[in-house]
Amino acid sequence: MDQRTAGLNIAIFFCQQLDVNQDKNRRSLEKELGPRIRFFPLPCSGRIDPLHLLRALESGADMVYLIACPEGACRYREGNLRAKKRVRYAQQLIEEIGLEGVRIEMINRTAEMPDDIDAIARELLARDAKVSISPVRSNAILSFMQK
Amino acid sequence: MITAERKPMAEIKAMLAPYRKILVVGCGTCVAECASGGEKEVGLLASALRMDAQIEGRTIEVREMTIDRQCVYEFIDKLTGVADRYEVILSLGCGAGVQAVAEAFPKMLVIPALNTTFIGETKEPGLWVENCRACGDCKLGYFAAVCPVTRCAKGLYNGPCGGSKNGVCEVDPDTPCAWQLIVERLENTGRNDLLEAIYPPADWSRQQGKGPRKIAREDQRSES
Ligand code: SF4
Ligand code: SF4
Repeated sequence: MDQRTAGLNIAIFFCQQLDVNQDKNRRSLEKELGPRIRFFPLPCSGRIDPLHLLRALESGADMVYLIACPEGACRYREGNLRAKKRVRYAQQLIEEIGLEGVRIEMINRTAEMPDDIDAIARELLARDAKVSISPVRSNAILSFMQK
Repeated sequence: MITAERKPMAEIKAMLAPYRKILVVGCGTCVAECASGGEKEVGLLASALRMDAQIEGRTIEVREMTIDRQCVYEFIDKLTGVADRYEVILSLGCGAGVQAVAEAFPKMLVIPALNTTFIGETKEPGLWVENCRACGDCKLGYFAAVCPVTRCAKGLYNGPCGGSKNGVCEVDPDTPCAWQLIVERLENTGRNDLLEAIYPPADWSRQQGKGPRKIAREDQRSES
């Protein structure tokens, strides 16, 4: 079952360098999925902090993605390498409370991936769901990342 | 700086198990610098605790607060009027902070979230190294500002031991030989003469054996 059919709430943190028109491009998907999807543009994936990832899960995200540039192609040299370690740190922390680490996933863009952030996101949504609805969300009345 | 590491979640959870209203308090000084007890770490831990309760279907209330220093009453006082609304304080201060907060709130249970580890230096981002054992009789002036008590695995005042190779300690190949560093620095600073001296054993009574040490400075104290 793909992630959309599985009814998952998705949070997508991503490096703005991936798509200069991200602001416009992500709107169609935001309209289509409403509160089920949230995009968080970052100046560089290296800006990510484990706290962002945990707060997203706590606010009702079932899957949290961080999309970064390919390794070796970070505009700020090692932002995406640092991001990878922070993702690992956050995964370990949620595993300690019994949440699956795979709820947080880092994606490095590959050459085969599309250029637009919405197209990348659609590809992610079409992937098989690795997790079901989060027990954090199912046991609590939460609004998904209200702005 | 005092360094510390977060305890495993399971241990923190077990200590918090009887309580529903939890005040998570960080310290903005030493443990913030070593990324174990500052505002961010308070956020991470509080988030994890809230999610954990949701997963288990428990209702808890967790508030996050970080004060500048947990070992000084003037800063601890920021918790006055807040702490008594909670059943327990989960402190992310070092051991000194936890105890100072507990003393300020005699009726509150205060639980440590960290294991306080050592006095050290931020060597590089993400790496903290012990460099002082607070011996109470600092000899750095004779050893070119490299502490043999802490950084020599054998704590030698009259080193080197003869076992170091290529500048590395024979006890731990990841640690530079403190005595190699001492000799190099004495040479660089033109104080080879200090190597000639024989240093008597340390007076450990200044460090331990008589309960907690105290420093009292009349000029700093208030009248009341
Ligand atoms: S309580 Fe005091 S000594 Fe302990 S970490 Fe905070 S500022 Fe440092
Ligand atoms: S000699 Fe004593 S006070 Fe000085 S750095 Fe070493 S342990 Fe600390």
